[in-house]
Amino acid sequence: MRALVIDDSRTMRRIVVAALKALEFDTVEAEDGRQALDVLESGTEVDLACIDWNMPVMTGYEFVVAARANPAFRDVTLMMVTTESEHGQIVKALAAGAHEYLIKPFTPDAIKDKLQLLGLVGYEETV
Amino acid sequence: MSASIDMGVFAETVFAIADEVFSAMIDGEPGGLIPAFEPFEVPADATYAWVDVHGDHPGRVLLATEHETAMLLTRALLAMDDDEPVSDADFVDAFGEIANVVGGNIKSLVPDPGPLTLPQVSPLPPTDQAELLHDAQFIWRGRPLAISLWSLP
Repeated sequence: MRALVIDDSRTMRRIVVAALKALEFDTVEAEDGRQALDVLESGTEVDLACIDWNMPVMTGYEFVVAARANPAFRDVTLMMVTTESEHGQIVKALAAGAHEYLIKPFTPDAIKDKLQLLGLVGYEETV
Repeated sequence: MSASIDMGVFAETVFAIADEVFSAMIDGEPGGLIPAFEPFEVPADATYAWVDVHGDHPGRVLLATEHETAMLLTRALLAMDDDEPVSDADFVDAFGEIANVVGGNIKSLVPDPGPLTLPQVSPLPPTDQAELLHDAQFIWRGRPLAISLWSLP
């Protein structure tokens, strides 16, 4: 599995990447939505995109709209990872095509839970 | 913003938000951040980080703490050792991100908020004509840290 981590904060990219690597994802990074589209359009295949909302150049919401408008990216699972916690924003992102929504702050376990719900990470067997 | 937020609710909620941010992303467990029992003045060598909320009720969420405390917060957020060197870029980004996450969650208390600005970090407080609405004071690792809410013109 490969994940594209999109956030203008290098700190947040580092935190999200660390959580994903612990779940055995390969990762690539982008500082804004435009860079992320460039990554996808270059042919880099990813299974998951973790997307901040507030970024310069192109916001996460604009990235979701653009990614969903291109059939070539239809298999990419889109998960917003953002401080935008108002109900209206969540509905807006999901309506635009995001699959899941994770509100900052989050723990590594919270990312794991969301990815399990999305079927990208397996559930451990319990005895 | 003052007419749009119940300050009693804010005072209760800001600690819950800050505690969640620090527990989840900085300390890895609850209890690292506690309310200050005695009021304190922001020290002269403080570092400030803030985000503004645009919209019908413009406001600002401002973090202020000693520079050394901000460095410790940066190291904790980046999972660095306490004596590990921190680059200026990492410091500005990490301390600003704490303000961003705290501010983004406080924004949800405002009815119909507008966009959040990107975080700013400075050794000086912002100088525009903002009105202080509430100053929440905390202790983290024995060090003072203030989170305040301001109304913008």
